[in-house]
Formats: sequence, structure tokens, C-alpha cells
Amino acid sequence: MPQEFEQIRTADQPQENEESTAVAGVRTGDAADALDAVLDDIESVLETNAEEYVGSFVQKGGE
Amino acid sequence: MPQLRDSGNHSTAPLDGRTRSEVDAFTRIFGIETEYGVSVTGADAPCNSGQTAMMMFQPIVARSRSTNTYIENGSRLYLDVGSHPEYATAEARDPMDALALDMAGELVMHDLAMDAQRRLRASHGKRTMVHVFKNNADSAGHSFGCHENYLVRRFVPLTVIEHELLPFLITRQIFTGAGRVGERGFQVTQRADFLDEAVSSATTRSRPMVNTRDEPHADPDAFRRLHVIIGDSNRSQWATMMKLATTHLVLCVIEQAGREGRESGFARLAFVDPGAANHAVSRDVSGVGATFDMADGGVISGGAVAMQERYLVAVERFVEDHPEVVASLPRTDVHDVIRQWRTVLETFGSGDADVLADRVDWICKRRLFDALQARTGRLSTSRLEQLDMDYHDVANGTVYASLCRRGGMRTMLGPDAADHALRTPPSDTRAVLRGRFVREAKARGARYSCDWTRLTLMAPQHSEMVLLDPFDFEESERFRRMLGSLD
Repeated sequence: MPQEFEQIRTADQPQENEESTAVAGVRTGDAADALDAVLDDIESVLETNAEEYVGSFVQKGGE
Repeated sequence: MPQLRDSGNHSTAPLDGRTRSEVDAFTRIFGIETEYGVSVTGADAPCNSGQTAMMMFQPIVARSRSTNTYIENGSRLYLDVGSHPEYATAEARDPMDALALDMAGELVMHDLAMDAQRRLRASHGKRTMVHVFKNNADSAGHSFGCHENYLVRRFVPLTVIEHELLPFLITRQIFTGAGRVGERGFQVTQRADFLDEAVSSATTRSRPMVNTRDEPHADPDAFRRLHVIIGDSNRSQWATMMKLATTHLVLCVIEQAGREGRESGFARLAFVDPGAANHAVSRDVSGVGATFDMADGGVISGGAVAMQERYLVAVERFVEDHPEVVASLPRTDVHDVIRQWRTVLETFGSGDADVLADRVDWICKRRLFDALQARTGRLSTSRLEQLDMDYHDVANGTVYASLCRRGGMRTMLGPDAADHALRTPPSDTRAVLRGRFVREAKARGARYSCDWTRLTLMAPQHSEMVLLDPFDFEESERFRRMLGSLD
């Protein structure tokens, strides 16, 4: 959804302004929580027709 | 236009002082060219990739009468062979600038897709969704690329680059691979199944790893442009930064050896069969399991990590001996890059690579698929392929956006930096001149065209200028006169 994209452009991203030196590793517990939240977020993707979605992506090659 | 010179390694004419000092330095020009794939779902009537791409480019064609344009940040936006919307970043002196420009490209594609989607919904039904994939393969086995460009000193022969850099490019994929799920399981890279020849001069028909088409877009007596084909399109910002920064450092080692007329030491890392090594790396999710037959008759075990370790040690030693390399990147901390490179290799070595899921695309995907199947039970290949594709969809994708929002994927630059890079060229390359030219010509409704090394004004009056030096960002008298003629 377009709205989804708007969210990432405005969402509160805790690490967005940090330099690479300052980015700390995600602790294991936090990582598991983050992953759970992602799985909740993408449930809508799982409701669509996967075959149709995948099959509709046919390019002609490139480069 | 710069002349095409594929074979020469030595200058045919003495270089001027400025060019000489550029050749003597460790500075680099970086660029990333990304081909995007397109599809439409939910439509009442079929809409193939050609129609979708044209729909996206309609506003551009209406404005500039061409599907080949340069935008205000100095980057090139065009429709490539095979109906691929393509975006090539403006010249960047630093990996972080290239990253910001690359993110701006994602925004360009997103906005073009949303506009096309709005118009398609009028003709194809209100459930129509346009997808723009920053990935490297479609469902029918067509492959397309994310190419990196590095300006390299001409005194390094292409054969040297082929032999000394290619093993690095193949094995860096343990941290730059975007990962792909398919009928035959999960692999580290998007492209390994499609790339065969090590080096070739043609890209559309064959699938080489390094391209030798030599259009330096700079003084051909001083530079060549290394065109790296073997690389995945990354969503991870960290991976984009790291692939440019580590490749730059390895190139510095090779160039310095060339400068001093000695061997870099990397020649002994050549694989007997680069294609086979590439497949092995892509299939070895441990990073340490593959064994390589070397061109010198030896065998290296320990997987991609063992190969990367050799390159890293050489780079560490090199930076110690040549501390001035640190100044080659204006905004990226070379010591930090080296530290992160080492961390990655040590992490693979300890068998705990999953902790890299917050920065390495393929590990991020694989961990997500594993977690999802632990929750829902085994999923079909199609479902996993869909999630894989959704991860790369910069228009309507939910997976990657969610990962960033929830802290499952780290980001180095925020949306503001991408927005800024959409409007602003890097200030320290000739892109700043191209960007200003495009902005002012557009604002005044002038007819104009650009190339990497050329600005052309067709009306109100014809004028043209060549910008041969990508490092030269200063406005010349001629440039000012050209802009002045717009009034």
C-alpha cells in the first residue's frame, strides 16, 4: 500500500541519524521482538494470491 | 566523447598537472546503476512489463520527449532494454553520497509507480497495484543488474583487475548478497545462476561478472571505468555502503602496486573457474564451507570467509603503510569500514551469522522466512518467492518497510537524506554542474540534453560544453556564460 511507504518515510526510526560507528548491534531479545512485530505487519501479504503475484512478474531481460 | 580504448594501459600524451595529481591520489568516483523490474497485480485486464514501464515514463516523455533523462541531482533516469526503468547515480566521491543518491533513485521509482498506478486504476480497476522490484531476477528466469562503477587509474591493466579483483567480488557476496529463494532452495545471491563468463565486453546477451566496455567518462589517458556486473541490488543501506567502500580499498591496494610496478599479491587468489566459485559461494550459507580450486594449482578451504580474510589482511596492512588512504573518502571512516569488515568475517567464523540479519540482506530474508515458517508451518515456494519479491518492491512492498520500522534492519540514512539527495547533487564532483544545468534549464523551459561528460543547450540558443574531469566541480567562465544564455 502507498500508505505503508508513507509510514517509512515519516516513521520514528531510532537509528536513522546514527553514523555507522554508532550503530549498536541489536540484542537478541530485541531482535526476536522486532521479528515478531514484522511477522504481524506482513500478515496481509500472506492473504493475497502468491502464484498470481509471482507469475505476473515477467521481464524481458536487460543489461 | 571520450575515445573508446580497450587495450591501452599507458598514457599516450603527458597529463596536465591537475589530472596528474588525481592519478597520483587515492580518490575515487563511485556510481551505482540499478535496473528495476516492474509488474502489475490486481488489474482487471493484463498489463505487461512493457506497458507498465511506459506508463511510468509517460510523464517524463511528455516533459522531455525522451525516455532518457538526467534529473536535478545529476543522476540519469531512463528506460532500458527489456522495459527496465533504470537509474544511474550521479558521480559520488564517497560511498555515503552514492548511497544517498541510490536511495533517491528508490524514491524516484516509487513516485513514478504511484503516479502510474493512479492512472492505471482508472483503466484497469481500482485494485490495480504497480510493483517496482529492486531485485535481479523475475519469475521466468530473466536476470537484470545492479552495476557498480569505479573510476580506476589506467595504468592498471584490465587483466590485472580481472585476476586480482574478481575473487574478491565473488566472495564479498557473503555480506553483500541479496539472497533469493527458488525451487532449488535458498541461496546467498540473486545472480549466481545467471552469471557465467568472468569478463566480457557485451552485457545483454552474455552474463559477465566484470564488464570491460571502456567508456571512462573521464580523461581516457588517465582513467578507465571499472564496470562491475557481479553484484546484487541491495535494500540494506549498510550493504550498499560496505560493497563500495571495501571494493574501493581493494582497488587502492591494486593501484598502488601498479604505481610501484610490483605485484599486489592478489594474483595468487585467482580461481581456476570463477563461475564455479561463484556458484559455490552462493550455495554456502555457512560462509566457511566452500572449497576453491585455485588457478595456481592450490586449494583454499574455509569458504568465502577465508578468501575475504586474505583481502582484509592485505587492506589492513596497506592502510597502516599508507595512512593517507584514510583521506580518500571525504565522509566515510576507512578505519570503521575495516573494523566492520572484520566483525562480519569473525561473526561467520564463530557460526553466529544470524546476528548480521540487521544489515545483510540475504541473512535478513532467510531469518524472516525461518521465523515465519516456525509460526505458520511450512510455506509454499510461491509464498516465499512472493515475500522475497515484496522485500525488493520499492512501490508497494511491506516487508522491508516493516523491517526498518521495527528495528529488524538498521538504517544509516533517514528519509530526509534521501529526499535531500533527490534534489541535490554531490557538491564535490561535476554532478553539481550537471544538476544545476538541468534545474535551471528546466525552470526556464529551455531545450537541453545531457550526457555524463556533456551539457547541450538546443534552444533558445545552441551551446555545448564538455565536462571531462569528474572531480572538477568548479563553475568555469564558459559554464556561467552557458547558464547566462538561458535568461
